[in-house]
Amino acid sequence: MVRQSTGLVFVLPALIVLAMLIAYPLAYTGLLSVSDQQGNFVGARNFATVLAARATPQAFWNTVYFVGASIVFQVILGTAGAILLNQNFTGRAIVRSITIIPWVVPGIVAATTWAWMFHTEFGIINYMMTAPGLIEAPIGWLTNRDTVMPVLIAINVWKMFPFVTVMVLAGLQSIPNDLYEAARIDGANFWEEVWHIMLPQVRSVITAVTLLLVIWGLNSITIIYAITRGGPANRTLITPIQIFRLAFDAVQFNQAAALSVLFFAVAIVIVFFYVRLVQSPSGGAR
Amino acid sequence: MTRLKYTFGAIIAGGLALGAGTAFAGEVTWWTPNFNEARARGLVEEFQKQNPDIKVKLEITTADGLPQRILTTLQSGAAPDLIDVAHGWINGYAQNKLLTQVDDVLTDRADYVSAGLDYGTLNGSLWAIPYRVESHAIIFNKQHFRDAGLDPENPPKTWTELTKAAQALTKNGRYGFAITGGGEVGNTIFRSLPFVWMKGGDMISADQKTATINQPAAVEAVKFYTDMFTQLKVSPASTLENDGTANRRLFIAGTVSMYQSGQFDVTSIKKENPQIEVGAMAIPHPEGAKTASIIGGWSLVIPAHAKNPTDAKTLLKFLAEAKNQAALTDTFPARNSGMNAERFQDPLLNPFKDMLAYGRALPANRNWVQISQAYFDGIQRILLGDEDVQEAMDGAAEEIQALLDQKQ
Repeated sequence: MVRQSTGLVFVLPALIVLAMLIAYPLAYTGLLSVSDQQGNFVGARNFATVLAARATPQAFWNTVYFVGASIVFQVILGTAGAILLNQNFTGRAIVRSITIIPWVVPGIVAATTWAWMFHTEFGIINYMMTAPGLIEAPIGWLTNRDTVMPVLIAINVWKMFPFVTVMVLAGLQSIPNDLYEAARIDGANFWEEVWHIMLPQVRSVITAVTLLLVIWGLNSITIIYAITRGGPANRTLITPIQIFRLAFDAVQFNQAAALSVLFFAVAIVIVFFYVRLVQSPSGGAR
Repeated sequence: MTRLKYTFGAIIAGGLALGAGTAFAGEVTWWTPNFNEARARGLVEEFQKQNPDIKVKLEITTADGLPQRILTTLQSGAAPDLIDVAHGWINGYAQNKLLTQVDDVLTDRADYVSAGLDYGTLNGSLWAIPYRVESHAIIFNKQHFRDAGLDPENPPKTWTELTKAAQALTKNGRYGFAITGGGEVGNTIFRSLPFVWMKGGDMISADQKTATINQPAAVEAVKFYTDMFTQLKVSPASTLENDGTANRRLFIAGTVSMYQSGQFDVTSIKKENPQIEVGAMAIPHPEGAKTASIIGGWSLVIPAHAKNPTDAKTLLKFLAEAKNQAALTDTFPARNSGMNAERFQDPLLNPFKDMLAYGRALPANRNWVQISQAYFDGIQRILLGDEDVQEAMDGAAEEIQALLDQKQ
């Protein structure tokens, strides 16, 4: 009994710091979401207002599209990159270093550079395509309703796939050589090695990385905000940007808090189901 | 006993120290943005010569993050005595009772550009003295006019003439008239809303209870603006990602022949591409109607918690004199008599000057940022080809109405 309370005293400082940095903002956001600007309790009025806004459902589906598509390509490209970089070839160290560059570049720098490259009038991409006659007229990559989201997803994939590569590569390097040798004795070719040894062995790494990508994806503002600000006509508006706009452009902190609470709830549900989904089969096998 | 004496002495000493630390009567702290610094220093020197018993402490602010910084200091209760603020911010401060009334400082009301005073007026009282006003006009390339067989000394005056000129100018990779459809919301508000006003329409009704942007007059004007891109194709392909700066860059590159902007663009065009022969014209109006524009600029306010409001008013009175406004402003002074100064005599400035008389203040509504966003989204839907003008403005009006109906 005595020992227990002594332990509590020791962890108390850490708990207090945690409470100040996490619990307090969380609780305060909750409080803001049910009050008006003067601090009076207004119940669910802020929630009703943000849910009725035309941009809200659009932003929600944009978020699902942006995060979903980004993650699929990030994981596929990242894993493929890791398998490639796990092979023996000359210059491997250099290629490994180069691969990591997009992830190291600050988000705002990368986003602004891409925005310039994709600009209809001044962009190098249109210039490179019109000069040799690949296309006749410049394409409005960031203003055409069919291209703007895929372009942003491509930039996001480019930015984050090196992270997947680094993590999966670390996982691949921890696979004992005996497994490959055993497979080769059984006559397995390269693709069978990939499918039956590499992927199952790094499965837990991919799971953890995907979870991180989901969380980061749901919070990603930089790339879209710096390039399109959610436009044109909210076609690339994702919920985090909508919250940002409500809070800092329109100074409606209470509505922004209400939307944050809703978004937090949705994110929790998504993460919960994801963890359940990926844990159940492997848990059964072990 | 001795102890008590010491305590007493300490209190007195403390009191003296405190007195020395705070601003004494006769000192005025003035916050002015960095782009005004040199001119403000000159004026302060002159003011101190005339008022030797008042010392002005000048503090230089930067435009980046300035609204938040000013709001914080106004609410803190330890504000400076005089602050430069953009016209659009005043109403919010006044509504929250953060400013000192300055009706007694104003002299010669008729001499002021009226929209400048409108920004500072709330409930019949004046809360700010405007010193700088500016308006958009249309900047054009005179050589392009000649190339297209148009007379650069006789630029378009009506909407029909503007459309015709824009079409004639659009050839050989040039675009006749660039509109904005991207960047910060304000860019497109400043360029398109005046067209709505010219037609007699508005974004919201005067009592701020009804959204009026989907009424026929407004829709016609929005159609005129967006047709430049969607129907006539006289605005560049990149319109949806262009703001005012992008249009200036395209103009400097010789890709665009006409675009709307303020006089500050003329200076940067001349610097970056001296070959361009720059012309300027008042913004064309519909047949039989008057032109219109949005007035922008800066005012001076005295915070409600200013330590030395009396001397601050003396300084404000000095700065409000026409010749001092003319010295301090980056663009135009808010008083018409200030326009006589030498620096405003360049004939190229005349169209910008003429537009001031037709300038209006933006409505002061606490949800204005979201209202203008809803309108801007509508404009973008038109430019994207998602919706026709009526449909897009109906959608915008619905959103704006919900914002107007919102309880405080």
